[in-house]
Amino acid sequence: MTIQDIPARISISQPMIDAYARLSGDFNPLHVDPAIAAATPFGGTIAHGCIPMEPIFQAAQALIGKPVMPPGSTMSLRYLRPSQPGDTIHLEAQPEEVATDGARAFAFACVNQRGEKVIEGRCTIPVAP
Amino acid sequence: MTNPLTTFDGAEIGRQVCEGRIVVSQADIDGFCALMGYDDPAYRTDAPGGAMAPTSMCLTYGLRLGWEEDVFPPGAIRMGDENVYGVPARAGDTLTTVLTIVDRFERKERKFLKYEMVTSNQRGERVCTVAFTAIVP
Repeated sequence: MTIQDIPARISISQPMIDAYARLSGDFNPLHVDPAIAAATPFGGTIAHGCIPMEPIFQAAQALIGKPVMPPGSTMSLRYLRPSQPGDTIHLEAQPEEVATDGARAFAFACVNQRGEKVIEGRCTIPVAP
Repeated sequence: MTNPLTTFDGAEIGRQVCEGRIVVSQADIDGFCALMGYDDPAYRTDAPGGAMAPTSMCLTYGLRLGWEEDVFPPGAIRMGDENVYGVPARAGDTLTTVLTIVDRFERKERKFLKYEMVTSNQRGERVCTVAFTAIVP
């Protein structure tokens, strides 16, 4: 199995955003107040940046068959555009690179249902202990 | 009142801004798993060695500290992350997160701050380092 074979996606809803606000303490009205957010250039609420990251974790953990990332794993990423309720974000990964010690790395993009990249970056995964 | 150490002009690069502690509960793990759709037995209360928290849950620890301590200014826009993951957090762990502003720069007339949140468990093991850069007002 390669990283490109793994389906990884998340569907974003306002209740999910509200719940993430309670977890993270980030109650920015842009996330949780549809009335205020409607008056912004986004036209509605936007998800916390960590929510559309989830497909990266799903795919990376499925790739190595572990429930958590092994110590020393890294992610470097840029947020390109916001995600909103109703969006479904999936992972599009480039072919993984495997080092001689078994460590893996892949470039990725988190892409919405319109084919727009919302996040892009790179993930490295050392060999799990 | 805004802590001057958290503003673009007042931030002292490399100086710790705040520190917080939380105890990871099984209810927290269950809630996060339900929210994100994780169902591996390793997250459950009867997992050998105790339930592990999904790695992505560790992103919330530093964020919660930053918002609770009013470190992140309203209107801050997160631009990118550089994250390193360590040992998994487990139910019952007491996690300590230290938040530091590690960089400040201007580009195209916008102001940027880079925040670093280092979370460790009660044994001093690194759980994660979450660093993100934000445009600040």
